[in-house]
Amino acid sequence: MKLITLAIRNIKRSFSKYAMYFFALSFSVFTVYSFLALMYNDQVMAKFTYSDRYRAMLISFGVVIFVFVAFFLISSNNSFIRARKKEISTYSLFGMTNRKIGWLLFVETMIVGSAALVVGLAVGIFASKLIAMILLNLTLTHFVGDVEFSTAPKVVYLTVVPFLLVFGVIGLTGRWVIGRFELIDLFKANKMPETRFKGSILLLLFSLMLMGTGYYLAAWRDPLLLMMLALPILVLVIVGTFLFFRGGLPKILSWLQNRRSYYRGDNLIAVSTFNHRLKSISGLMAAIAVLSAVAVTVIASGYTLYATVEKSTYDAVGYDLYFYTNDEQVLHDVRAAFAEHDVAVIMEHTTYRYQARPRTDMFVAAEWEFGTPDTYYRIYPQSEFNQLLRAARERYPQADVGKGEAVLAVRTGNNELLEKEWVGRKLDFSNSSLTVTACMDLDITDFGAYYTVVVNDSDFTALMENGDIITTDSGKSPFDRVTVVKYENPLGSHDLNRRLNQVLAGRVSSYRLAYNHYIDALENFGLVCFIGFFMSIVFILMTASLLYFKQIMAAQEERHLYQTLRKIGIRPQQEARVITKRLLPVFFIPLLLGFLHSIFAMKSADTMVFSGMLAVENSYLIVLKFSAAMYLGYGLVYGIFYLITRRQYINIVS
Amino acid sequence: MEILRVENISKVYGTKRSAKQFRALNNISFSVKKGEFLGVMGPSGSGKTTLLNIIGSIDRPTTGRCIIDGQDLTKLNKNQLAQHRIKNIGFIFQDYNLLETMTLKENIILPLALHGYKVREMEAKLARLSHDLGITGVLDKYPYEVSGGEQQRAAACRAVITNPKIILADEPTGNLDSKSGRALLDLLTLINQKYQATILMVTHDVFAASYCQKIMFIRDGEIYNELYAGESKRQFFDAIIDVMSVLGGADNEADYFSHS
Repeated sequence: MKLITLAIRNIKRSFSKYAMYFFALSFSVFTVYSFLALMYNDQVMAKFTYSDRYRAMLISFGVVIFVFVAFFLISSNNSFIRARKKEISTYSLFGMTNRKIGWLLFVETMIVGSAALVVGLAVGIFASKLIAMILLNLTLTHFVGDVEFSTAPKVVYLTVVPFLLVFGVIGLTGRWVIGRFELIDLFKANKMPETRFKGSILLLLFSLMLMGTGYYLAAWRDPLLLMMLALPILVLVIVGTFLFFRGGLPKILSWLQNRRSYYRGDNLIAVSTFNHRLKSISGLMAAIAVLSAVAVTVIASGYTLYATVEKSTYDAVGYDLYFYTNDEQVLHDVRAAFAEHDVAVIMEHTTYRYQARPRTDMFVAAEWEFGTPDTYYRIYPQSEFNQLLRAARERYPQADVGKGEAVLAVRTGNNELLEKEWVGRKLDFSNSSLTVTACMDLDITDFGAYYTVVVNDSDFTALMENGDIITTDSGKSPFDRVTVVKYENPLGSHDLNRRLNQVLAGRVSSYRLAYNHYIDALENFGLVCFIGFFMSIVFILMTASLLYFKQIMAAQEERHLYQTLRKIGIRPQQEARVITKRLLPVFFIPLLLGFLHSIFAMKSADTMVFSGMLAVENSYLIVLKFSAAMYLGYGLVYGIFYLITRRQYINIVS
Repeated sequence: MEILRVENISKVYGTKRSAKQFRALNNISFSVKKGEFLGVMGPSGSGKTTLLNIIGSIDRPTTGRCIIDGQDLTKLNKNQLAQHRIKNIGFIFQDYNLLETMTLKENIILPLALHGYKVREMEAKLARLSHDLGITGVLDKYPYEVSGGEQQRAAACRAVITNPKIILADEPTGNLDSKSGRALLDLLTLINQKYQATILMVTHDVFAASYCQKIMFIRDGEIYNELYAGESKRQFFDAIIDVMSVLGGADNEADYFSHS
């Protein structure tokens, strides 16, 4: 077959150009295969507590990746064909029919696609066990040992068919694209310089306004409202990003061109060349900004969740173990379980769940309502309260309450504001009243109530005698007492914790085990981390290879520019500087904008998720700290692709 | 005053041992005085462009020396050569070699910008030159928006703006129609006379050559003949035709005159 020989020759000849494309394609095949393989492996599935959730997450991210693979293929295919206009027109000129040329393109696409499929599948099959081990190690604390991993034909089939379909469709669209070419245009294609984008101040302001509004809404502090605004925010920011690259950035560049520093040699060359390239690349730059924002936000969230899982566990549970019961037998069985597994109990404390309903004014402090008729408080004498704090995993300062005083414990995340409203107010009991002197930002002593009040031991006795404090419900049956336990290695003692679950489940009115919470969180967040990691690499590879290809194409057209410059007398170092200034903005403006988007997205994530999970004054700072690590990592990997592109660019122009 | 001296320059392509050795220039020596308008002619493959590239320090000779303004080019390193090109040499090419992404103004001041001139100085120089060269009106246009003649004038402007010691023109009229070509040649003459610029022009266009004060003919890498312009342009033109017809490779360009 002559056509196939021609196709193979074409591929061979331009292999270096396609290498990055091929690599990105293979990696996406590998990713989709890996996800499917993990999804259809019963053994891996069985390890997860909530296998439905796990499967749903993998599927949804698999779909996201597939959508982007399709986007990537379509846009790279378009630039390939445009890059080959001259070659195609030569075929056409020598009498090859459009049908035949289309067929040639189709054959080429299928050859490259099949090769990528084979490579991606081979790597996927070879590495599937490794991938499964990484996932399980990341997500399951108690995972030890081995996992069997066989290659399921179904998975291979499920990967191959959609990819072949996409390749086929793309190969055929080539025929449609060349059908619209006019021979004369084909010859002009390479000669026509790209026209310059003037940009417009209106578009610039409008795009900044859209993004700014998105940011402003994203920084809203009300989680419920944020949930509703999520879609509008996304639309605002994405549209704003595209408009910014389409009309805003060119305007900024043309402002730069009016500054004096523009006339310093290398700026002059770099800015004007970049400006002429903007038209063909602005869409891609916007897409990169959005994709990078998505990818870094996912990994930053995943990593923050994952890295703070221990802290968030104790912020949610407070103790290693607590349960409500008045049954002495249960208490006995729990102690037996500790003895049986040889785990030392550091502290065990049982207390009544005292309840009181002092009257206060009705008001709102730090977004919490106080003084409503159905408000009731958990109330403790100072000594009891301090015992509970000591049993908690986190170290809290001990309370010290004077006579006639009271301390209020509410978890608001904003203790200063709370104290400003509360300090000096009175809690009125039936025939006495106590003055609030301080507030504490914690909720681990509430045990079902909204707020905790701590009073002096002697005041407590007096209130008790007065009937202000109750320990029974209206039917006079006593509330379950609560027992808190602190013990050695609470998150690592898998057997003990399993036993505790058996002892407690169904026998007590309520119990919480830090271990359960921890395991559950780790499974979820580990999976998010794992998926985010893959997604980031796929996104980086795709966007970088698109950029790479565009810059290589540009390099071929800009070659004569550097030849002219050398004749005029540009120094070699100066030339390197020009190239850096030419390429750096293309790569890093979108990335930085993506990071900026992500910083605000993390703010929303903080409002919706993290601030509720992390009991600190400003959880956003912690979130930013972990996010910064991920931004750095992402930036570094992306930077490698910049360097590869720069090197290839220099090779071409020199 | 002598501005350029070429001493025994040879250029050999291909490795020494290979049989495919090709000698583009063979022991050429000559010198150019300040203010001279010298033409270099010869058939295709005679070594004209190689010679120009060596003088322009884009290429290095295999043996021999090329001295511009007392400076031996073979002794300079890459950076010094780049500096030398900016300061001492102005290039005009057949296909203009203007950068398409810049306006004519930006193209013209590029050598100054690379050299780190102040904006005010650059603009002063530009204003004077562009007026003389008649392109003031199109300075803010891009190369693809103006005619070939205007592009070539801008290129000439770029070559002159640094006050180079010598201007090297490689087939400057090759891409122009006869009217624009004549305008450009008038311009080169003007530059030559008004700014006392030394010009070395490679061409195989007999009509263009007739604008020079002296013509050097090259064949097979060696100097074959020299001609000096006399009183009459027409006579000089005929003399050039005679030499070229012996050399081969001349276009029959007598019809230039039938139009004028």
